[in-house]
Amino acid sequence: MRSARPGRCARRLTLAVGLLGCVVQMHAALAVAPPPIVGKDAPDFVAKTIDGSNLRLSEFRGQVVLVNFWARWASDSRQEMPALSRINQTYERAGLKVIGISIDDDLVRARAFADAMKLSYPVMLDAGPQIGRDYQLGKMPMTILVDRSGVIRYAHVGYRRGDDRVFLDHIRELLRE
Amino acid sequence: MSRMSCVGSWALASILLAGTALAGQAASPAGAAAPADASPAPAGAAAAGATAPAASAASSADAAPAPAAESSSAEFKTLDQEVQGLKKDVIDLNKDLFVLEEELLFPANTQVAVYVSMDVGAFFALDSVTVKIDNREVKNYLYTAREADALLKGGVQQIYLGNLKVGKHELVAFFTGKGPVERNYRRGATIKFEKGVGAKYLELKITDKVPKHQPEFTIKDWE
Repeated sequence: MRSARPGRCARRLTLAVGLLGCVVQMHAALAVAPPPIVGKDAPDFVAKTIDGSNLRLSEFRGQVVLVNFWARWASDSRQEMPALSRINQTYERAGLKVIGISIDDDLVRARAFADAMKLSYPVMLDAGPQIGRDYQLGKMPMTILVDRSGVIRYAHVGYRRGDDRVFLDHIRELLRE
Repeated sequence: MSRMSCVGSWALASILLAGTALAGQAASPAGAAAPADASPAPAGAAAAGATAPAASAASSADAAPAPAAESSSAEFKTLDQEVQGLKKDVIDLNKDLFVLEEELLFPANTQVAVYVSMDVGAFFALDSVTVKIDNREVKNYLYTAREADALLKGGVQQIYLGNLKVGKHELVAFFTGKGPVERNYRRGATIKFEKGVGAKYLELKITDKVPKHQPEFTIKDWE
C-alpha cells in the first residue's frame, strides 16, 4: 500500500500536467485563430486619417493592400508598427499599400501615439466600431492582406518577432500575381 | 463557367488539330512514312511531301514549327474572342439585374433619389455630406480626394436611393469641408417637397457665390 501511493501521485501529477498542457495549447490556438474572413471580399470602408484626409479601401483596387488594425493599449502593436513602416517604404513602389486603422476610443491619444511612431503609411481612426465589426476583430493587433482583386487572402492575429518575415512572404506572393 | 468554356475551347481546338493532322496524312502518299511528331504539319507540308516523297519526312519536320505557331496563335485569338464575348454577356446580365433590382426594391411610386453635384468649388473643398429626411439620418458620406475631384470635373453622384410615402416631406443636407482661407466649414440646406405618385429626384448643388467669396448650397427639386 505504501509503495503504491507515490506511483499514484506521480500518475495524477502527469495527468494534471498533460491536461494543463492541452488547455494551454487549446487556448493559444483559439486566441490566435484568424477570423473566418479569409477568401471573402474585403468589406469596403472609408475613414478619416490622422492628417485629416479621407481614404476608401476600394480606391486601392489593383494594388495589394495590407490593413493593420491596432490599438494603443496592445503592446504588440508597438513592436509591429515600425516593421510595417519599413515594409511600406520598401514595397510601396512595387504596388503595396499599407493602411493602419486605430480602434482606440480615445482618438486624441491614438493620434498622438501614431504621430510619435513616425509611420510611413496613413493611419485611419475608426471612430465608430463599424470597420472592426465588419472585419470581425477579436484579439489585437490584426493584420490582413487584400489582393489586387479585393479578396482577403491572409489574416494574422497578434504579433511576434519574426512575423514580419511571414508578412513579407505573403506580400511578395501577392505582388507577383 | 469561364473555366469550363476554356476547357471546352481547348478540347475543340485539339479535335480540330487532330482532324487537320489526319487530313494531312490522307493527302500525303508517303503518309505512312511520315514521322509521328510531324503530324501537326498542315496540308502545305503534306503537299511538299507529294512532290518529293523521299525528302518529305525531313522537310515536313522542318516546316512544322511555323504553321504550328500560326495555328496556336489562331487558337488564342479564338479563345480571346470567346472570353471577350463572355465578359460582354456578364456585363449585360449585371445591367439587367441592376435594373430589375431597382424596379423591385425602389418602385417608381415610392422612389426618392438624391444626387450631389459640385460646380467650380474654388471656395469649398468637400469633406462629407449628411442627408436627413423627415428628421432621420439616411446617409452620411465621406468623400475622398478622388471622389471630390470627380465631382469638380462634372460628375454627379447618387448619394441616396430610398422609398417614401406619398405626401409632404422635408430633406435637410449638411455639408462639411474646408471653406475660404482653409477654415472648417459646415452649412446646411433644407427643402420641403411633396412626394407624388412618380419617382422624386432631388439634387444637392454646391456652387460658388463669387461676389461674396463664399460657397452656396442649394437643393433642386427635379419633377
